[in-house]
Amino acid sequence: MATDDTALRLLPTRFSRVSIGLVVAVGVLVPFVVSGDFWMTVLVSAGIFAMGAVGLNVLTGFTGQVSLGHAFFLGCGAYTAAYLGAARGWPLPLWLLAAGVIGGVIGGIVGPFALRLKGNYLVVVTLGLVFIGIHIFENWDRVTGGTNGTSTSQAELSLGFTDFRSFSIPGKDFSELQGLYYLVWILAGLFVLVSANIVRSRPGRALQAVRDRDVAAEVVGISLPRYKIGAFVISSSMAAMAGAMLGVQQQFVGPTSWNIFLSIQYVAIIIVGGVGMVSGAVLGALFLGPLPEIVEKYSDKLPFLYEVKGEGGIVSIAAFNEMLFGALLIVFLLFEPRGLAALWLRAKARFRTARSTP
Amino acid sequence: MSLLEVREISLSFGGVRAISDVTFDVEAGELFAVIGPNGAGKTSIFNCLNGVYEPRGSIKLEGLELTGLPPSKIASLGIARTFQNLALFSNLDVISNLMLGRHHLMKTGFIAGALWVGRAKREEIVHRRRCEEIVELLELTPYRRQPIGTLPYGIQKRIELGRALAMDPKVLLLDEPVAGMNLEETEGMARYILDIRDELGVAMVLVEHDMHFVMDLADRLLVLEFGQVIAVGTPEQIANDPNVIRAYLGEAS
Ligand SMILES: Nc1ncnc2c1ncn2[C@@H]1O[C@H](COP(=O)(O)OP(=O)(O)O)[C@@H](O)[C@H]1O
Ligand SMILES: [Mg+2]
Repeated sequence: MATDDTALRLLPTRFSRVSIGLVVAVGVLVPFVVSGDFWMTVLVSAGIFAMGAVGLNVLTGFTGQVSLGHAFFLGCGAYTAAYLGAARGWPLPLWLLAAGVIGGVIGGIVGPFALRLKGNYLVVVTLGLVFIGIHIFENWDRVTGGTNGTSTSQAELSLGFTDFRSFSIPGKDFSELQGLYYLVWILAGLFVLVSANIVRSRPGRALQAVRDRDVAAEVVGISLPRYKIGAFVISSSMAAMAGAMLGVQQQFVGPTSWNIFLSIQYVAIIIVGGVGMVSGAVLGALFLGPLPEIVEKYSDKLPFLYEVKGEGGIVSIAAFNEMLFGALLIVFLLFEPRGLAALWLRAKARFRTARSTP
Repeated sequence: MSLLEVREISLSFGGVRAISDVTFDVEAGELFAVIGPNGAGKTSIFNCLNGVYEPRGSIKLEGLELTGLPPSKIASLGIARTFQNLALFSNLDVISNLMLGRHHLMKTGFIAGALWVGRAKREEIVHRRRCEEIVELLELTPYRRQPIGTLPYGIQKRIELGRALAMDPKVLLLDEPVAGMNLEETEGMARYILDIRDELGVAMVLVEHDMHFVMDLADRLLVLEFGQVIAVGTPEQIANDPNVIRAYLGEAS
């Protein structure tokens, strides 16, 4: 059967191959056009959010397990980058992998307890993880620096001959931010590839079966604990690697960053982007990830916002960001539960019919 | 030794006795039917056979005790089933649903799948081919790429049969495969069931509350009432059994 092979391809149509090619090309060229620190920072944040969101999408989008514990695993990764990368001087591949392994192992330990629970109970338990995490981060001084936090500015960022902190090609020197941009988006691209491969093969089908109908999944021979925990380990591991990069980007890791708002932000990203579609997590990360930074940057143009109480305005920037996320979540859940990725698919379908009608 | 040996299984929900001391055998290649009115305990027997419930008593497949094993293990030992009220993976397409039937026959784990090199891809190709054969056998070709949530009920029933077949089972359990179908769909399903028996020789246990459908089809029948066996035998034996005539056919005539 001739169709057999195309069905196995990641990008079955010429249209999808061309689209992805364009996206990658634009991504590579961005630092040649954008040099301002603010927008470069925004794009680095988006790349880090994409890494973490692709991970959460494996757990929530493909396996149907909602977790608010993502921030905790991001924190674990960030402290790993600080402790092994900056304080101990481990090379980039090692501290990054260590973050992934630590996230995965903690996920593998916590998962079996958390995933016995379903729905709201799972949400509450994973939320508990965030509180426990902050407590540990505040008190395990020797590793985390306690409430003072710890620095990541010494973390090694080179791979082979490429030092992402300062590298150049003939005719162009890249700034540290631009280097970081390439690094996080290469990693995000790898995460996308890994999760797309999982989704199209046996383990990913099993995850989706667990999501769609867990009784039927067991009846075809799928072990629910095995796949739920597997998804949790992947999600935690990717979160920790995203957290490690976030720690490096911020140059400093403190205990309070790994809070509920960060977890909710990730849930919002995958819902707005498109739950259960690999591209959805990336779209969501691009649109929602850097939103708080953008709001803060333009807050003086928005008179109803204040940064410090008493200087005028109605709501604080932080509260406004939370409301914005809440509002976007509600709008998408009500009107486009399949998210931005579904909008894209629909646009593509329309483009196709427009082209095929003479 | 019979292929499937069920010995004195009993199951209660709270105070309600759903099955009492049910005993029967299924031979290799046999089409065995379980009939009885709604609430007689037919679905409950299936739930015991594939490990969703754990009854008292004994269930053996090729001599191996199944009670106490989790459903996923029993599936990999060779028992496949369909559900009275469809249990398909509705966001996935036909082929993916059938491929999930082959889950227990495949090996690719998370790491091999993530890398998608060598074995993962080869395995995918081999098993897809088998699923395509089943798609052809059950005449599902026109629907193969569609997410199945949107397909008509009769087609979904057939897809579920396909998923169970894809498991290469030793025993196939069909829970009311024609419930809610019109006459044409019912005849179609009967034909597929006979094809499966003739071409693949899989032993089948068929649950039905419509007696006429199974009388023509089954090699042997078991009649269940209030969780108890009132008769087991060939269609002729059943049709002439005084208990069955009194309890079941009697009301119709
Ligand atoms: N999960 C359950 N909880 C409580 N009672 C149940 C459950 N499943 C079945 N029963 C009861 O067991 C009896 C047999 O049901 P079932 O096996 O579904 O019958 P059938 O499939 O023959 O219609 C019925 O009285 C039903 O109400
Ligand atoms: Mg029933």
